[in-house]
Amino acid sequence: MSIQVELTYDMGKAIGEHRFEVEAAATVADVVEQTRQRFKEGGDEFAKLAHVTRVAVNGVLVKHSKGMKTALKDGDRVGFVKASAGG
Amino acid sequence: MIKGYAGRVLEIDLASKQFTFKPLDEDIARDYIGGKGYGTRLLYDRTDAGIDPLGPENPLIFATGPLNGSVAPQSNRFAVVCKSPLTGGIGNATCGGNYAHGMKRAGIDVIVVSHQSESPVRIEINGDRDEVNFIDASDLWGLGTYETQEKLGKKLAHAVIGPAGENKVLYAGIVSNERIAGRTGVGAVMGSKNLKAISITGSRKLEMDDPEAFKSYTKEVRELFKDHPVLGSSMKRFGTAGIVNTTNGRGILPTRNFQRGHFDGAMTISGEWMEDHELKGVKTSCIHCPVTCGRDVEIEGKGVVKGPEYETLALMGSNLEIGDLEAINVWNYHADDMGMDTISLGASLSFAMELKERGIWDAGVSFGDPEGVSGLILDIGHRRGAGDEIANGAKKMSEKFGGHEFAMHVKGLEMSAYDPRGSFAQGVEYATTNRGGCHVQGASMYMESVGPLTINPQNMKLKADIPVLMQNNACAINSMVLCIFTTYGMIPKAIHEMDPDSFGHRAISKVFENLGPMMRLAMGMKGKPMMWFEKWLTYITGTTFSSGHLQEIGGRIFNLERMYNLREGLTGKEDTLPPRMLNESIFENMDSGHPLGELLPRYYKIRGWDADGVPLRSTLDKLRLEV
Ligand code: SF4
Repeated sequence: MSIQVELTYDMGKAIGEHRFEVEAAATVADVVEQTRQRFKEGGDEFAKLAHVTRVAVNGVLVKHSKGMKTALKDGDRVGFVKASAGG
Repeated sequence: MIKGYAGRVLEIDLASKQFTFKPLDEDIARDYIGGKGYGTRLLYDRTDAGIDPLGPENPLIFATGPLNGSVAPQSNRFAVVCKSPLTGGIGNATCGGNYAHGMKRAGIDVIVVSHQSESPVRIEINGDRDEVNFIDASDLWGLGTYETQEKLGKKLAHAVIGPAGENKVLYAGIVSNERIAGRTGVGAVMGSKNLKAISITGSRKLEMDDPEAFKSYTKEVRELFKDHPVLGSSMKRFGTAGIVNTTNGRGILPTRNFQRGHFDGAMTISGEWMEDHELKGVKTSCIHCPVTCGRDVEIEGKGVVKGPEYETLALMGSNLEIGDLEAINVWNYHADDMGMDTISLGASLSFAMELKERGIWDAGVSFGDPEGVSGLILDIGHRRGAGDEIANGAKKMSEKFGGHEFAMHVKGLEMSAYDPRGSFAQGVEYATTNRGGCHVQGASMYMESVGPLTINPQNMKLKADIPVLMQNNACAINSMVLCIFTTYGMIPKAIHEMDPDSFGHRAISKVFENLGPMMRLAMGMKGKPMMWFEKWLTYITGTTFSSGHLQEIGGRIFNLERMYNLREGLTGKEDTLPPRMLNESIFENMDSGHPLGELLPRYYKIRGWDADGVPLRSTLDKLRLEV
């Protein structure tokens, strides 16, 4: 099982990679936990950035499905997304 | 004359090379503000149905509003209105830069350019001396917008076309400084008139009803903007490109001609990436705007030039499946220099690439491959070879080659870079917006899918209400004429800073999502001015403008555009989305595409239109709209 994780730019900059894969994650909560692990000592930094970030699975915010308990399957994409405005 | 207006309309006849100054019609100004509203009223009243958009009967109307000429942030845009050669319906576009300011300094609210010159001409206007000079422009004909403006010098403000306008590329725009009135082919109409440039100067000052109140309040607004997470921070740091990663994360970043909504290479074409890797440290702004959303990049052989906006990065990057920022910077330069709308250009190129992929027609360019794109853009601007076909836009190409189901346009105008399958209200907005598939005639996506509110963009709640309110609001904003990005400031800082998972944030989103009729009622109330643009209008003109006033005026303008389209034969049948958007799913939680069939009747009902999308007599009467 492989889950693609995509971080926001600032998150990625903090840990040196924006996209990575996690092998075993049954739910979104597992991915968040594993991402937190990657931040190691930078756990605070992750918490700070996560504070204004939403989590989406394959583009759909998990708050519109089962939240952190949303189950994952092989090939899913978990993205940390911030609000923004463009034009 | 109402304060805030110069009080003059300049009528120019290019066939006879005559001009006259006429008084501004105060009734129209009261009912339509100015800008797009005033221009639409003139177009409706002065033209017959069925005129050739590229013929002499199509007037080209440049219109400012009462905020132009002031120092209010973002009050630097002018509107251009005419019949669109791309859609056959209402054509309009707004543009920043310094030209609107120039018009007001010259003491002119509106310029109407009629008929056609037999040979290339440019116009120089000195508003202080009431002079209008017609000057042979053969020496400028064929030059790009950069060189044209350079040759015209910095003393006057200019609105110019490039080769795309001259060659009547159907999505050619009109350029002022580095900004472009890009959409609906207004530049082709200018080209059809053999008009290369209008340059304008003057030294008149804007008269206001309460200049002191305006001055002190504007100071407050500057502070408010400075402190706002979008206008004072993300737009400043990343420009509009700051949204690439957001739309990608939400699965609505057009990829491979909208075949998908996610692009693996999005990060390297994002605003954040540009800030760290590409920017030359120069952030540029339209006159009097503290947001400075423009950013410069360096390209080989040209030096430092304007960098790409979000729409360009998406339509000419992910949508072509190309994540090569350096290449996109060059294409963006070419498009600006040719004077072309990068949204229509990108979606026309992606359509050509899909035609090739399906073995239907080969323009020599392929998804994922930058090879040949640069040359093709120049060929489009000059209407050479395959470029001559792509210059007609996705709709006309699909009529010739087939591929209607994947031609990404609405009413002939190529769709912007927010996939409506993950942003339902934006889909309704695309389908119903009078000029066609555009996002800045409302910007519903900001309220549902990319902004700080976290309502579900894929259910039915509020998805017909948001577009009505936002379209009306945008009609008013485009008539003042203010930059539409001002709407990004409408959601206060406090909401941006809330944890999206907090109880408070969830509660706000839930209340917002469930209060459609109440919201319409609240926004429709005529009371005191609350938002900055309502207060500015009030201080400048001396007439009270509240949300309710703007909703009414915006609704009047929107319905007038609708009546114009109906007169031109664009009916409710055109209120649709490309078949790919309706039939193909890109989200696992959806079996099909956008549920427009369910939402459109609701939208019509809220608008006060019949089942065919025709405004009811009672609706027109309520809006005091004479047609
Ligand atoms: S926000 Fe950007 S586009 Fe709008 S007026 Fe300011 S600088 Fe110009």
